[in-house]
Amino acid sequence: MPLTLIGLSHHTAPIEVRERFAAEVQAGRPSLDQIAQSPGVSEAVMLSTCNRTELYLLTEHEPDHDALVRMLPQPPGIDVQDVPQFTYTRAERAVVDHLFRVVSSLDSMILGEPQIQGQVRSAYESALKLQREQRVVGPVLSRLFENALRVGAQVRTDTRLGEGAASVPSAAVELARKIFGSLRGRHALIMGTGEMSELALDCLIAEGARATVVSRTEGRARELARKTHSVAVSTEGFSAVLPTVEIIVTATAAPHAIVTREFMDRVLPRGPREPLLIVDLALPRDVEPEVGAIRNVFLYNLDDLHQVIQGTMAQRRAELPLAEQIIIAGVTDFWTWYRGLDVVPMIRGLRERAEQMRVQEVERALRALGHLSPEDRAAVEALTRQLLAKWLHQPTVKLRQAAANGHATDILTAARYLFELDREQDREQERDRERERDRD
Amino acid sequence: MTSITVLHGASLLSYLGAGGLAMSSLAAGHRNVPRAGVALIATALLVHAAGLIVYTVRFAELPLVGLGASLSTLAFLIGAALLGAAALRSVRPLALVLIPLIAILLAGALTLGLAPGRTVSQFRGVWFAAHVVLAFLGYASLAVAFAAGLLYLVQWRALKGKNFGRAFRFFPPLETLDRLRQSALFLGFFALTFALTLAWAWTIRFLNTLATENLQVIWGVVTWLVFSAALLSRAGGGGAERRAAATVVAGFFVVVLSYVLLRVVADARGFL
Repeated sequence: MPLTLIGLSHHTAPIEVRERFAAEVQAGRPSLDQIAQSPGVSEAVMLSTCNRTELYLLTEHEPDHDALVRMLPQPPGIDVQDVPQFTYTRAERAVVDHLFRVVSSLDSMILGEPQIQGQVRSAYESALKLQREQRVVGPVLSRLFENALRVGAQVRTDTRLGEGAASVPSAAVELARKIFGSLRGRHALIMGTGEMSELALDCLIAEGARATVVSRTEGRARELARKTHSVAVSTEGFSAVLPTVEIIVTATAAPHAIVTREFMDRVLPRGPREPLLIVDLALPRDVEPEVGAIRNVFLYNLDDLHQVIQGTMAQRRAELPLAEQIIIAGVTDFWTWYRGLDVVPMIRGLRERAEQMRVQEVERALRALGHLSPEDRAAVEALTRQLLAKWLHQPTVKLRQAAANGHATDILTAARYLFELDREQDREQERDRERERDRD
Repeated sequence: MTSITVLHGASLLSYLGAGGLAMSSLAAGHRNVPRAGVALIATALLVHAAGLIVYTVRFAELPLVGLGASLSTLAFLIGAALLGAAALRSVRPLALVLIPLIAILLAGALTLGLAPGRTVSQFRGVWFAAHVVLAFLGYASLAVAFAAGLLYLVQWRALKGKNFGRAFRFFPPLETLDRLRQSALFLGFFALTFALTLAWAWTIRFLNTLATENLQVIWGVVTWLVFSAALLSRAGGGGAERRAAATVVAGFFVVVLSYVLLRVVADARGFL
């Protein structure tokens, strides 16, 4: 039964396409149980994030590409004929490799981002929840996703792929932490009420800072302050709160600098008493560069924050070889197990046949050795069992390995021939037919 | 080679291993010293403690008299402070400064020989032990304050100069270093004040003098003044943190330099 994946991601589809697919998945079109009921599908998991929509399948036969495309959501406004240009497919081991890389965030838009693990877990758990009504995840995809999540966690703990700031607001927070340590209780002032201000405000509040919002549009400042349990002040009130502020984040749409050296010298003639961090996220800049020359003022603009992010990304890229090693080991581990499934009936047959022979031979031997005590007879039983187990151990391991390495067909044929397992199967089938005839 | 020397040598090697790990972490752009580094510091400290215990048993006295023994005890106290700091994850990079200091002290102790001083001081007993331990605690605290001050200045420079490289990532936040330096200074100041008070109480009681010509007393007073200056420089606002960091770094060099100068003068008059 082949493993298959069809999906689209930021590598293959623009955001306008990705968001439509994501919206369809969110709306449950198509639902996972519908997909699982498709002909030839044994197991299915749908992963949907803002950057990817992927369908992982275990099918009875190798599916044709058109059938796979039809299983994907069909967003309005995108012709089904156009979908293939945005999609990619993977088969067998490449599916495992892909999922392990995705969950380890090696395939993410921002290398090392932490959300993907939660998103993969949630996709798997959604499929498990459906399980109660209808089977959509079986032993193969369960093991695949559990192993993937384990490998993802290992990559996170054993490498430094998740360290450092990788976005503008988190870079601002990292700078603040390098100055103040913990931000708990620190007084932050946010100038502007745009999207960037809101993001920065959320980040600072999440770190425990208390915030004051300043905006020319007082209503918007009040609304943002109410939403984030912070305080709003008017632009005129800015000078009054400045001496108590430790962090300033500015992101206004003003066409000129609003925090000038002259203003700072007027409000804080002897400079700030404690370190003052100013993060200017505006373009054009809200803060005059000369303000950075004031003693105890640490001023950073967007370029500086990008420098912090670049440092983080370089550090994360340096961790890639180690992450790849962990992933390769995980993929090999899963693949050995998965391919080993092909030889399970064969191994079972071999063991049953060997056990049958052992029982027959022991019975015959014990009949000839009637003088043995019950303890001695038990010892003979145990000895033959141990011998058999030891003798079968190596062939079992080798059969699994051969299956994992893709040599299963030749080895299985040889093993069937050597141990006459086909004849045993024929005899079993003959017995079944006889039983059926007897019933008739 | 005695067991005392072997244990001190092993301790030195462990400290150097931990220092090497700290250096390689900085060079590799890591954000902290790995746990293995902390384990090596703990090992070094345990072996060092064993060396000092063997010394005490063998010579039937604490390793407080004689330059070699004193250097070893001082290194041990700095090592203990370092291990305490390493337990607080954020200040592990102090190892970059403190381990070389410890290594110099231990190497000095091994070179000079680990045996009690030949001259028998009049000032022995519990008073003496309390005085020396408190004084060593003062000097160990000064070393920690110096390390925190030095890292503060480097981190401050990185932040102000927008140099977000290895030092920025590896060194602790300014606030953490400031608090650590102040705590070390307060502890050291009180320890040294008590040490000097005990010494003077003894000299006044038994010799009826302040022993102001005694070189050890002079060195102690110089160190006490450095502590006072560093603590006072933190008062007030407007960059007081950086001023205090610079003062303690300069003060540390003053203390070391004054020791060297007093050693030069000491030939005739006896000094540690």
